[in-house]
Amino acid sequence: MIKLSQIEKVYKSGANTVHAIKGIDLNVERGEIYGVIGKSGAGKSTLIRCINMLERPTSGNVIVDGQDLTAMSDSELREVRKQIGMIFQHFNLLSSRTVYDNVAFPLELSGKSKAEIEKEVVPLLELVGLSDKRNQYPAQLSGGQKQRVGIARALASKPKVLLCDEATSALDPQTTKSILELLKDINRKLQLTIVLITHEMQVIKEICDKVAVIENGIIIEQGSVLDIFTKPQSNTTREFISAIINHDLPVIFADTKFSPVALPDSTLVLRLSFIGHSAEEPVIAGMIRRFDVDTNIIYGNVDHIQNTPYGTLVIEVSGSQQGIENALNYLQSRNLGIEVIGYVARHNRAAG
Amino acid sequence: MSQDIIALLVKALWETTYMVAVSSAFAALAGIPLGVVLVTTDKGHILENLPLNRILGSIVNAARSTPFIILMVAIIPLTRIIVGTSIGTDAAIVPLTIAAIPFVGRLVETSLKEVEYGVIEAAQAMGATPWQIVAKVLIPEAMPSIISGLTITVISLIGYSAMAGAIGGGGLGDLAIRYGYQRFRADIMIATVVILIAQVQIVQSAGDYAARRLNKK
Repeated sequence: MIKLSQIEKVYKSGANTVHAIKGIDLNVERGEIYGVIGKSGAGKSTLIRCINMLERPTSGNVIVDGQDLTAMSDSELREVRKQIGMIFQHFNLLSSRTVYDNVAFPLELSGKSKAEIEKEVVPLLELVGLSDKRNQYPAQLSGGQKQRVGIARALASKPKVLLCDEATSALDPQTTKSILELLKDINRKLQLTIVLITHEMQVIKEICDKVAVIENGIIIEQGSVLDIFTKPQSNTTREFISAIINHDLPVIFADTKFSPVALPDSTLVLRLSFIGHSAEEPVIAGMIRRFDVDTNIIYGNVDHIQNTPYGTLVIEVSGSQQGIENALNYLQSRNLGIEVIGYVARHNRAAG
Repeated sequence: MSQDIIALLVKALWETTYMVAVSSAFAALAGIPLGVVLVTTDKGHILENLPLNRILGSIVNAARSTPFIILMVAIIPLTRIIVGTSIGTDAAIVPLTIAAIPFVGRLVETSLKEVEYGVIEAAQAMGATPWQIVAKVLIPEAMPSIISGLTITVISLIGYSAMAGAIGGGGLGDLAIRYGYQRFRADIMIATVVILIAQVQIVQSAGDYAARRLNKK
């Protein structure tokens, strides 16, 4: 649905050159919710503006629904933009117009008659749950309601794509949740392709199918949300994820020295992660039954990413050296994520 | 106060009102588009055109720095072309209008710059043409502020119109100078000043009211 290839954006002001985007490729399938996450200044805002050409890329191609936007004239671009809705962090509603007139605005731009406009605006207000606010002005609404108006307005021209520029960043967590639910809802109902940018991993976790992590104008990691969450490759990604999934070691290990190889009379600390159905398999019990080892669960957590359960366990395995090794081999043969944190001399953890 | 004096005051009040109303209307008609051009041709705006922007900006500055009394005399030939005479109330409207256009232009420019660029960007994202952005976004969004600017313009023109006496334009200011000052008629001086204060007060209140009614923020 959206295909960005080799997008570059360079800003020049006098002697200063800022290379905001340094060659980005991005592919968004029809009906997908695609998240781009990055810190401020990473280039995500510029990137999303390249999709509807509010920012003209210095080089590269932007193809939306088979049409190359980079090759278009201004007037062709204006037509094609009507198929690309956009919502904003600060809503950008017209303060001099009522809720109804704000939603009617894009239809007015297309020269629709009053009757046609009425016919389209009323169900949209219903969809976003603002039918009773139609004659109010934006200043009388809460942040969440303003964003609902923004969404209704963006949907008025029946777009194929919706771009969300930090759409929930100015909202409190509760409101964020309800807006995300609304976005997910319209994504399903209208088969709408959504691209959103954010700096909050929570948003990605809540509704995205795929995610790209952007840093310094390049995409450092991309893939399905589940993959990125369970197997983050870069430090930046890990940092984002740590905001919602704990990847740090439990505090009791703060001063502990780990050895990468087995020491005499030591225990092994492991981090296991379970995804989907493997979460249901009783691996720990199986391990204890098969080998002469004891297990101490130090930390455990189960989370859901979309609808897939994702669990993390930090365990300490003790027993004979051979037993520990067998247990480790056994775990590695199972269908789960395993990370060897290290061996600890037993006296170090007398309290455990 | 005699009948004669009251007749003089009424006539002068009419002349001031007439000069100010007509010149304000023309100044708004020309000044609002000027303000729009000044904003939209600026760097990074919807119709960026820096040479045009700089040239217009310089003309506006030059016109605004010319003292009104000089301007009035300097454009007498132009006045003669437009109204056929260089003396009288109608003739005074020309320099008043010309002085007010750049003034309105700058005030409108300031008002339009207060419109958040995000709103313009949103309109662009919806496929609005530059003209649609001006007519449906910039001007309606800035309307309360534009009304306040026009109020200031009308009040400044009431002040300027006092100088119209120099070319026989008449009006309250002229009456105050000729009778109140030159003939030591303190009663006429006080009467004109009171009327001017009332006039300015009414204009300001009406402008504030209109701006408040239009402001939905």
